[in-house]
Amino acid sequence: MKVAFVTPRYGAEVTGGAETGARQLAEHLVATFGWEVEAYTSCALDLISWANVLPAGTSVSNGVWVHRFEAVGGRPKAFFELDGRLRVAPRHASRSDAERWVELNGPVVPALVDALEVSDADVVAFYPYLFYPTVMGIARVQAPSVLHPAAHDEPALYLPVFKDVYRRADAICYHSQAERRLVQRVHQVADRPQIVLGLGVGRPLEGGRRGGDILGIGDRPYIVCVGRVDAHKGSTMLARFFQLFKERNPGPLALAFVGTQVADLGEHDDIVITGAVDEGTKWDLLRDAVALVSPSALESFSLVLMEAWQQARPVLVNALCDPTREHCQRSGGGLWFSSYRHFEAALNRLLSDPLLRQVLGSRGKAYVEQNYEWPVVIERYASFLEAVVERDRSHRKHLGFKDSPLRHE
Amino acid sequence: MSVLGDGPEVAPPDARRQLEQVMAEIEEEVRRRRLSGDLPLHVEKELDELFVRHAPVSGAGRGIDDVLAMVDRSTFVDPVVPIASQKSGGALVKRAVRQLTLWYVGFVSHQVSQFASATSRALHVIAEELDDLSDRLDAQRVVSPRIIQWQTHREDAWWVDLATEALGQTSGRVLHAAAGDGWLLGRLHAADIDAYGLEPRVLGDGEAGVAPKERTQGVAFDIRDESVVDHLRAVAPGTLGGLVLSGVVDGMSPGQRQQLVELSVDRLTEGGQLLVHSLSPTIWDSELAPPEADLCPGRPLRPRSWEQLLGELGLSARALDGPRGEDYLVIATVRDSGQRWQGRSMRDLRGGPIRDRSR
Repeated sequence: MKVAFVTPRYGAEVTGGAETGARQLAEHLVATFGWEVEAYTSCALDLISWANVLPAGTSVSNGVWVHRFEAVGGRPKAFFELDGRLRVAPRHASRSDAERWVELNGPVVPALVDALEVSDADVVAFYPYLFYPTVMGIARVQAPSVLHPAAHDEPALYLPVFKDVYRRADAICYHSQAERRLVQRVHQVADRPQIVLGLGVGRPLEGGRRGGDILGIGDRPYIVCVGRVDAHKGSTMLARFFQLFKERNPGPLALAFVGTQVADLGEHDDIVITGAVDEGTKWDLLRDAVALVSPSALESFSLVLMEAWQQARPVLVNALCDPTREHCQRSGGGLWFSSYRHFEAALNRLLSDPLLRQVLGSRGKAYVEQNYEWPVVIERYASFLEAVVERDRSHRKHLGFKDSPLRHE
Repeated sequence: MSVLGDGPEVAPPDARRQLEQVMAEIEEEVRRRRLSGDLPLHVEKELDELFVRHAPVSGAGRGIDDVLAMVDRSTFVDPVVPIASQKSGGALVKRAVRQLTLWYVGFVSHQVSQFASATSRALHVIAEELDDLSDRLDAQRVVSPRIIQWQTHREDAWWVDLATEALGQTSGRVLHAAAGDGWLLGRLHAADIDAYGLEPRVLGDGEAGVAPKERTQGVAFDIRDESVVDHLRAVAPGTLGGLVLSGVVDGMSPGQRQQLVELSVDRLTEGGQLLVHSLSPTIWDSELAPPEADLCPGRPLRPRSWEQLLGELGLSARALDGPRGEDYLVIATVRDSGQRWQGRSMRDLRGGPIRDRSR
């Protein structure tokens, strides 16, 4: 079996959730089944500039053949102007405006699309839906295509150009039931073969330090928020909520933001921002936290929720984020908040009830073990890919094709 | 064939009930504190705005009470603008400008606040009316039909060969509901027919009905746990090659059946096959009928009624009785779109089709 992944960025140094998901699936397919896996991607690491910082050409990374192609230009200022205009009523955007949005969003890699068209892969996985390589590639690929949307309820999802992307997919792989419902509601693709897979999580690799020591707060209890510190991720809101919480509920509790800082959160004695940390530090911080808070309303899966549960920590999530709330409801491993008042009441409940924290954490841990540890995920994914290839072969046979027919004509 | 499961395993029911209890207690605490007025209104408004600033487009997750509470907190437009400044002297300049323009800003903001208050009151009246209407409708609600399990829902039943033959002539995927453990899908796959299923008896939590593990039995299929109508709303028009309904329509009310049939016809391709397997009305009224029959809002149609109903919708339909008179199969073919729309126009004259909310 030969599988090709198409993703705008690829590599261990890329922090995006979708790109990480693609890379991990690719590497686990190689490691677990010995399949031949290749990745078609750009030379960029930054999704704003799309600067070609990595060399074009083919290299091997953890057993995966990586084909890199130079992006033609970055994301210009015109993108933000057009995006601002279209996001007001994305459903009603003209087709030409939507196509222009895709071009400006980038990375524009025509050579990647050309190469993909002549790939001899048995199946091609596109990850995520939002970028040029997926939009252009899925229209021209010869092998059956599997779309990993990694979709949020965001304006771009409603742009008319993406309806074709979803309808052209031979199969769809979702991160969560909530994502599946969202995509099916917007694009009516429920008839496609599909799977709700999620993402795989590895075993915790602790660094052996105490969380309080890492943060410089000694024995003080703390809650932790892991991920990019960004207003779009809810970080600004969480910082403000926490400041008010501390004013109204004085005590030793601290809040740790763990991740690359994009937003300015101001100064506060009880808030620590670590910046990007290594894996061992992250696991140490999760292990010793009172709870993990996920303030983002725009997650399609949330790997950090799973990581917190692996450390048997309870979680507190944004109620507007269907996938994370659904994880809590399905696992019984976390609470959710829909306003500052709910945040305050839920956090106070977690702080005052150690038994509840323990119960939530252990239920979350069981949920992860049952559904998202790598052996479970990769077995389901491989079976799904095989079914997609088998279905395509059967379909071609039915139509009387011997070799690759022209698809999507 | 491979595993095409339908989502993550879930916590046991008692764990979820306990979680609901905790969330209900938190909600009660929030309600109590809100009544105590311990947080200034303008602060709560600012925090609410911050909370929804990066919310999903559809605003999912918010109930009408939450939204109305937000509207209430947003009705007052404050004419006294903040004057804090990072530049030296900036605050003084802002204060002067504010005092000079307050007569004008205050006049405008007062009118905007009045308008917002009136709008908010109107929304509350509508919400109360809706509550009242909902309560009244609740008393008259039509219960959901049960899925009927019958002895001819098995791969060697008399009608399965006929169904397989009819579906073998279609192009496009075939959907079977209710799929059970995939007994029909196995036959269709063996005949090289690309098929998937719905099993509404598994409502996402494995609590009742057909357990996912039992239904897969080592040979797994693409079976989803959702209702037929919900699923069809999420399928594009003119997409499916075939649709097999078995155990689904038998106990539907007339309205439910009409809605399902209209959606089904709309989602089928030209030349697509709609197959309906149902118990006969005679069996439904006899002691042999399954217990679910008494709990359903409707009763099965006679075979010729199906022929007429589907004919009106532009399909050519024929009904075949089972050998023991207990059940029957209707095979209907979508002819061409012109005839389909002609059929729809006739229905429109009779009172209009049931609205398809997916559009």
